[in-house]
Amino acid sequence: MAIIEVTELRKKYGDHVVLDGVSFSVEEGEVFGLLGPNGAGKTTAVECAEGLRRPDSGTVRVLGLDPVRQRKQLSEHVGVQLQHTQLPENIKVWEALDLYASFYDRSRDWRELLDRWGLADKRGARFGKLSGGQKQRLFIALALVGDPRVAFLDELTTGLDPQARRATWELVKRVRAEGVTVVLVSHFMDEVEELCDRVAVLDRGSVVALDTPAGLIDGVDAEYRMSFRLVDAGAPDPDGLLGNLAGVTSVSRTGDRVTVAGRGDFVTAVTASLAREHVLVSDLRIDKRTLDDAFVALTGRSLQA
Amino acid sequence: MPVLAKLTHVETKLMVREPGAVFSLLIPLFILLVFGGGISEGDTFLMPMAVSMALGLVGLYLLPTTLATYRERGVLRRLSVTPVSPGNLLTVQLLLQLVMAVATAALLLVVGVGFLGARAPGPLGFLLVFLLGTAAMFSVGLLIAALAPNGRAANGFGVLLYFPLAYLGGLMQPVEHMPDILAVVGRYTPMGALRQSLHELWNGGALEPLPLVTMAVYAVVLSLVAARSFRWE
Repeated sequence: MAIIEVTELRKKYGDHVVLDGVSFSVEEGEVFGLLGPNGAGKTTAVECAEGLRRPDSGTVRVLGLDPVRQRKQLSEHVGVQLQHTQLPENIKVWEALDLYASFYDRSRDWRELLDRWGLADKRGARFGKLSGGQKQRLFIALALVGDPRVAFLDELTTGLDPQARRATWELVKRVRAEGVTVVLVSHFMDEVEELCDRVAVLDRGSVVALDTPAGLIDGVDAEYRMSFRLVDAGAPDPDGLLGNLAGVTSVSRTGDRVTVAGRGDFVTAVTASLAREHVLVSDLRIDKRTLDDAFVALTGRSLQA
Repeated sequence: MPVLAKLTHVETKLMVREPGAVFSLLIPLFILLVFGGGISEGDTFLMPMAVSMALGLVGLYLLPTTLATYRERGVLRRLSVTPVSPGNLLTVQLLLQLVMAVATAALLLVVGVGFLGARAPGPLGFLLVFLLGTAAMFSVGLLIAALAPNGRAANGFGVLLYFPLAYLGGLMQPVEHMPDILAVVGRYTPMGALRQSLHELWNGGALEPLPLVTMAVYAVVLSLVAARSFRWE
């Protein structure tokens, strides 16, 4: 059953169209990603689902409720981590959790959350003294303290160092394992690829693709490369053997290293052919296609640029 | 604990941890002590000045800085995605700032009347002037909080308004020594009206209606404008 249903969402600020008919639905228990460059409309779409913004037209239903009109009722079951939000500088970690726990009819034991999110030794620390990663962990804990069925996490790892990002990813996996549906807003390909079951790619206010990360990557018909080393340096030139295989576009050789470029599933054809002809190879490398390639193919530009 | 009680408890702790709150409490007292050595029973300048200053600091500085900082940091926005409306936080803050105003005025009265030998004002008259003055000062503070884009700007606006208002209100020097035109203008400023009413109280005479009405008008009009222009984010 869809836990979030977004249909034909439109939103304009003045003349600037931010959402131009966005539709998607999120299934219970999945991690759903909203991916796109800055200004694509991701945050606005999520804010409409959180009840912070009223769309010009279109409908949003979260747990069957209208996020704007039934905001109070819905907020009992939704956990939110907002972009660019801070807590008062001098509030202590335990005070924030204790306070937020008191907001909900049914809340989780915040002491357990402290342990779970590795904040137990920071219990009495003031918010202003926490590191970026610790603040982020506190925000996730605050999003979960009301025992939500859905959690919205917006740009969770922006500004964190690589180690803290990896650690935060593990936390998101844990949230999912606890059965909470997660909507993850991100402009990081690797993050979405690592965490999401399905991804909606947003560009200029529209959903340009919606699939699993693997599905998005497979859908790209871009050229990529594989290369290997010939064990027997005196082996005949492989061009004749490989050049005519389905999907292969070029074969080149430098010394004993052979590079094959192609499209689709040409790698299987190449390895099968080498095996059939008893050509021994070593040091086999395949350039992994990434979600970034998929994004370039879908929008005509790179996300990271 | 019910939500509002818990919110009040946490906000009180936060206020105590904020050096600005402690300063607002101590600066008027410090001024009173510095100048109060030679206070006489008939003094009608020092106590009204210290009390006006104290209420001005809470209303023009403490209140708007706190509220604008909360908005800037997204504290109000974050609350609006919980079952508790951010209006609750504003209510709790207003109450706490009122407690601050009561505390700072009480401190001045205890020290001024109890130890420095100033005359005690009539309690009912003082209560009326205190309430109207606090309301007028808070309404200026609320307007600053509504218009300032962030906490630092609110702080700046507060300081920028404080000194001219204190000067016009006759807090820097007795009104008799001010140019006539400024003294007249000063009567219609919130701080000037407050100081004038306090002066009448310490003088032992009856309260003139004009300053009281001036304060009430500021309180009502500015609060309405502030409420209309307040943004949650």
